[in-house]
Amino acid sequence: MIRFEGVTRRYGDRAVVDRVTLDVPDGSICVLLGESGSGKSTLMRMVNRLVEPSAGRVLVNGRDVTATDPETLRRGIGYVIQSVGLFPHWRVAENVATVPRLLGWEAARIATRVDELLALVGLEPGRFRDRFPHELSGGQAQRVGLARALAADPPLLLMDEPFSALDPGTRRGLQAELRTIHAETGKTILFVTHDVEEALALADTVAVLEEGRLAARGRPAELLERGTGAPVRRLFGEESLAFHRLATLPASTIARPEDAAGDLPILPAEASLKQALMLMLSEGSDRLAVPPTGEFPGGTLYWADLVRPA
Amino acid sequence: MPLRPALLAASQPAAAPSPPREATAVGLLAALAALAPFLLGWLSLAPNRLLSPRPAELPMGPELGLAMGGFLLACLLVLLLARRAALLPWAEAAAALALCALLATAGLGARAALEAASPMARAMPAAGVWVAMLLLALAAGSCAAGRGGTPGRFLALAVLGVGGLLATGLLDGLSVVHEAAARGPELRSAFSGHLALAGGALALALMVSVPLSLLALRRPRLEAALMGLANGFQVVPSLALFGLLMGPLAALAALWPALRDWGVGGIGPAPAILGIAAYLLLPLASSLLAGLRVASPALLDAARGQGMTEAGILRRLRLPLGWGVMLGGLRVAAVQAVGLATLAALIGGGGLGRLVFQGIGQMAADLILLGVLPVVLLSLLVDGLLAILQSGLEVAR
Repeated sequence: MIRFEGVTRRYGDRAVVDRVTLDVPDGSICVLLGESGSGKSTLMRMVNRLVEPSAGRVLVNGRDVTATDPETLRRGIGYVIQSVGLFPHWRVAENVATVPRLLGWEAARIATRVDELLALVGLEPGRFRDRFPHELSGGQAQRVGLARALAADPPLLLMDEPFSALDPGTRRGLQAELRTIHAETGKTILFVTHDVEEALALADTVAVLEEGRLAARGRPAELLERGTGAPVRRLFGEESLAFHRLATLPASTIARPEDAAGDLPILPAEASLKQALMLMLSEGSDRLAVPPTGEFPGGTLYWADLVRPA
Repeated sequence: MPLRPALLAASQPAAAPSPPREATAVGLLAALAALAPFLLGWLSLAPNRLLSPRPAELPMGPELGLAMGGFLLACLLVLLLARRAALLPWAEAAAALALCALLATAGLGARAALEAASPMARAMPAAGVWVAMLLLALAAGSCAAGRGGTPGRFLALAVLGVGGLLATGLLDGLSVVHEAAARGPELRSAFSGHLALAGGALALALMVSVPLSLLALRRPRLEAALMGLANGFQVVPSLALFGLLMGPLAALAALWPALRDWGVGGIGPAPAILGIAAYLLLPLASSLLAGLRVASPALLDAARGQGMTEAGILRRLRLPLGWGVMLGGLRVAAVQAVGLATLAALIGGGGLGRLVFQGIGQMAADLILLGVLPVVLLSLLVDGLLAILQSGLEVAR
């Protein structure tokens, strides 16, 4: 677990991060969302001591990070950045093995681990192990970056706008895969982004930063409830707030528990209302069938319910 | 009969590949090189080593005719080989062959001409031979540029060839060779002195610039001071700098006479080495800093974020990524050191410059050449070796 306690970082007179107190529970994805200059990266970089706080403290698993020397601390925390930063003169395998090598693992253990990780991030080890970074596409490079961060199996991952430089398709693919990898590994992830859709797609909790201060925080659905504060409305866009809100609600919540007519388009129960709306628009239908899953008994989703003010 | 299209296609005459961009230039240079000795003269004769030479007829003979024919043929070969991009390296080799044949012609001519002259007489290549040598070197350079390299092949072959000619005594008639034979020990000591001056200055400059560059990497004010100093030295003319160093060093030696035993004094090698080292600071420090910065800030962030120490970053990122740039600076500095060491003779520092300035004082062109030729050779050698090292490191990446 990460805990920020009244953390402030000043450069000269300007507080880039201003008295932020925030908890990130174990095994969750917390997205730090804000415009550029809001202090979100600086806040994140205080966790692995790339930036030291001017006041307040950062605790990882109850221990003040300043109690550990920076290098040891960083080797125990995965780190992924927007520019990827793969070492151009090292092959993919050597890049992934950076931290295990720093930790002095045996060569055989490193080799097994590298192949395991490449497979985890969706790169066939045999094809990619011996490539140089310049032989990779942007998406492949960031997959390697992710594998590198996971190499020594750190419980905590810091990700600084890792997908921002990728094209939209690749970005969505990697977001979905990050969720899968998160579900498989149960890492605690602190994820910095300025992209609201990315935040909603990934976050267990979102922390909105504005001018260094924590402006709002909560589960995506809570964050976008009616009557939310000005910073959130501004960041998500006043006119598209309702649309984003749909993305935070599962379709099963407002489906009527009645048997659906057989010829309706089918929407999976775990899909969001935004996906339901998209399906209605693309199928030209004002009703959708939601099949039963788990505790949800199945039902029909009506256009009228979707647009009714909740 | 079954058709075999692949075979048929192969037997078709391939469209003639267009000649490389350099073909015209190389051809023109080779043609001019072949003409130059005929237009500007092959040989000069002087009654003795101090009097001015006069143009002399080339005393034709069978051996001489063979050498001259070889020269003309080699020039033609350069011209023809340069028409194909794939054959450019061979054109470069042919240029070296032409150069050797040219020198052999001059050497044989000199030997024959001296037989008929007084024992004091000196024979030397005339302007035409020098111009032809220059043109051939340029042609070889163009060939090398055509394949994107340096004319290492030409230089290596020319050095080997000329060495062979010297060993067989074919060039003994030429006055420079005569002079070298007469001054063997002096030439050798001047050469080793020159190496010591250049090497010492380079070592001193490295000892200063390496630690300072590493320190300046993260201290902008130190970097500004270092680069300001290095740039400042470049502005001072070298002789003035040697002169400026004389005073303080003489005072130091007077204060602590023990320093004299180390060779420190107002004149001699000490101020020369110090002065040369001062000029080397700029190429060394600027290339070291640039090389250390080849690793981008994003790369350094990633490295630090993963827990690499600063020492590890230097060893595993900054140095391997910056070798090429840093060696480039070392190359410039080393060549500059060899050149500047020539001036050390003016303040009693020795080296090959002593022969040059003695020659100027005596108006003896051979003596000047005897000093200059090894300097040129040494520069080319140092440059070539470091270039090979540089490209080797770049391939290894």
